Amino acid sequence: MRKTFFAPAALAAFATLVTGCAGSMKTSAFASDWQSDNGKSIAAVRAHLASVPVPTGRGVALGITKTGLIGVGLDGSGRWSYSGVVDSRPSIAGDVVVSTSKGHLFALDAATGKELWHLPIADKRLRGAGDDGHTTVASLGSDAGGGGLVVAVNRSGTVVGTWTPTVDVGIPAVLSDIVFAPWGNQYVSALSLTTGDEAGRLLARTVVSRATAIGGSIYFGENTMLRFDDAISQSATTGGHEVKLAERELPGKPAWYPTGTRVLPPEAGAPDAIRFYARPAEAGDKLVLDSQRFAATYFRIIVGFNEGDGALRWVRTLPAEVIGGDAATGGFAFCDVNGDVWLTAARTGGDAGHVSLGAKIEGCVVDGGDFKIAGGSDTGTLAEQITHAIELGDAQMATVQRFLLRELGTNDDPTITKTLLDLACNARTQPDVLAEARSLLASRRTGIEYMIDALKQHYDFLSDVLRAPPVGPLADALSAVGEKSAAPLLAAHLNDPSDTPDDVKRAAHALLTLATASEFDEIRTFFSLYRATADDDALVAAVIDAAKILVHLGGADGIEVIERAVSDPLTEPVVKQAISSLIPAKTSDIPHAANRTMTRR
Amino acid sequence: MLRRSLTAIHITLFSAFATLFVPAPDAAAKGTPPKEKATETSSAELAALDKALKGDEDSVVGALQSIDDGDKVAAAPLISKLLARGGTEKVLEAALKTAQKLKAESLSTAIAPYTRHRSEEVRRQATRALLKTKGPIAVTTLEQALRSPDAVVRGTAASGLGELHAHAALPELFLAFDKGVPEAAAALGQLCVGAECDQFIGRTGRVGFDIMQTGFDQILFRPPSEVSDDAKIKLVGKLRELGTDEVGKYLSDVAERWPKDGSKRVKQVIDSAAHSVGGGVKQ
Repeated sequence: MRKTFFAPAALAAFATLVTGCAGSMKTSAFASDWQSDNGKSIAAVRAHLASVPVPTGRGVALGITKTGLIGVGLDGSGRWSYSGVVDSRPSIAGDVVVSTSKGHLFALDAATGKELWHLPIADKRLRGAGDDGHTTVASLGSDAGGGGLVVAVNRSGTVVGTWTPTVDVGIPAVLSDIVFAPWGNQYVSALSLTTGDEAGRLLARTVVSRATAIGGSIYFGENTMLRFDDAISQSATTGGHEVKLAERELPGKPAWYPTGTRVLPPEAGAPDAIRFYARPAEAGDKLVLDSQRFAATYFRIIVGFNEGDGALRWVRTLPAEVIGGDAATGGFAFCDVNGDVWLTAARTGGDAGHVSLGAKIEGCVVDGGDFKIAGGSDTGTLAEQITHAIELGDAQMATVQRFLLRELGTNDDPTITKTLLDLACNARTQPDVLAEARSLLASRRTGIEYMIDALKQHYDFLSDVLRAPPVGPLADALSAVGEKSAAPLLAAHLNDPSDTPDDVKRAAHALLTLATASEFDEIRTFFSLYRATADDDALVAAVIDAAKILVHLGGADGIEVIERAVSDPLTEPVVKQAISSLIPAKTSDIPHAANRTMTRR
Repeated sequence: MLRRSLTAIHITLFSAFATLFVPAPDAAAKGTPPKEKATETSSAELAALDKALKGDEDSVVGALQSIDDGDKVAAAPLISKLLARGGTEKVLEAALKTAQKLKAESLSTAIAPYTRHRSEEVRRQATRALLKTKGPIAVTTLEQALRSPDAVVRGTAASGLGELHAHAALPELFLAFDKGVPEAAAALGQLCVGAECDQFIGRTGRVGFDIMQTGFDQILFRPPSEVSDDAKIKLVGKLRELGTDEVGKYLSDVAERWPKDGSKRVKQVIDSAAHSVGGGVKQ
């Protein structure tokens, strides 16, 4: 592995150097033959930096437009704009904004948008940057990977360190005279700004592609964040102080952070809309998540989870697609395509206000810094929040809506049954959501009154009832609770061609236990209409169940109907075969019709 | 609220249907006698037909053809029984066609449940059959059929309600018309009285003229006992105000079709309007 370090004295012609045409000296940085030192060297670096404060930043949102950048404080103060098309996703590092544009690396004051410095970098683009209030360090690369460059620049624009590693370096951090450069998914090289050499190296047990300052500490990681503290030497053994998110299978497979070794385009894509957000915080001697919450975004819908068990705690639905954000203290800041930044209370998901970037944006970067989000409006019960999110008529949301439905289904509240019914009966409900709602309804055991009301509905063109109720799932549920009052309603649905054959099958099956003699006529009509025309398995099954009911509830009349069907050449052979065994052998076996109910067999 | 409870209607229909299923010879024939003159059918012939109607598909279809060919209205109860016990699609379609031919009101009860059959052909055939067998059951069933998911069934039902003079169905027909059932226009034109006609005419401009004119036609050609000359003149005046080419052509066409013994006063207004709008009236 070839690596070069350009000492400050050799940086007179930086533009020439980055093209690789100038002389260089070899250093120990990024050595591939490095042997684990059991944390000794990184512990020494920690000891060296123990008393150096890590700046926190003030909390900034940065919007990327077609023509430049817009910045605003999360407290709504100091909105600024910068003209200049960026060609990579900017970084907010402490109090500076760093990005690349037309062959230059530049830094802006995050509070004012004023340019601090710019440097030529040929065709490289920004992967990410760090800043300690005095020095900015940036990792650059080519779009296709490789061509790496790590450069440290002081506030006056002087390059104070440069490395050209052959490995892909992720997002770096800097503190005093040390640059932290993550690479190889498991290492963080602590590079000396004085010598260019590695002052120490961290070997992590988890994937590490970024170093970042959060809340006055430096963290390394990607999906697990490892704090750079006095326990850092244990990172390769017992793990040091680290925090990760509870595992949840979520639509779109969100990640806490994208890999730091790639150059991200300025425009947001789907991975920016589907992300986890969380903020490490200290609780006693443990590392936890701030407010014990983490959030996941899925375009317009945001869900908040409990830290320990990953239980769903809240859902927030925003007016537009989320394309960026960050966790602050006490809450989250989510940035949408309209340029609105929505502050959300971490504990409840409540609305804690919003600030505006003032224009539609194509990408967004937020740094929570030391901004504190407090309060948050009352957003109703979790069920109400989920209902609101599910009712969003947006096809793109169907996947997360299904996820939310499953969460909703675990709640016994009868009103949840109504919500599921509203979805299942609404002709505009997306097919995936509909299937999930129907599936959940079948296993509901509460909200019976809502189920009965729904069964009273039939397709009705004149009344705009353009989707039949979920008869099959309701039949399953009502049969499971033995709700006899459902029998006439289910029987009426047997003869409604708007119901699917599967729904009819399930209704007939439920009637095996629920039907009384009062439903005899309706069931007989169904049997007569379909004993010779049933053209699919579900309908055949329904006809056979109807025959069983007729025999058991209809007494001699019912048996005569079946006998005639058995002897009728027009009866479907498969039906005939199934029902022929239903006829009692002797007259004494004929049950009396009156006051009989079915026992399923 | 004129809309009836779906369930109540279904149960009424199904109960009536169910009574046919219990073997009670001639039970279905106890309704209103067939309107058409029946050909003589001997009891032996009926017995033979009854037997054939209980046979295999070919036998049943053959018997139905025989009833159809011979216009054997006396066999209507046999068809009721056949429909009540059900059959294959081929049998049902043949039975419904025959029922249509026999025009026996007593058949309406047995036909009604088939307007909601899962087979598209069967339910459409059943709806058409009710237009011929008529009677209160037919009207109730057609009103219900306006709510069907099948646009053809809705359209046939709307036309049928007009043909069957089901004035009580007017609110449903207006609803159907406003929801895009074009066949309801002619029915409304056939059934409306006084302000109801004005209500229909008030839709002019909101609905395509080609659809509206099917209703106008009905209004203009209805006898004066049903729609007064003044009402017709008012309608022509309204059309004249539209002043479009298609209105001109339509009025000109109406003038040509106007009955010789029709109102001279109305004819004069139609001629004048057609001339004024530019429909090229032939004198």
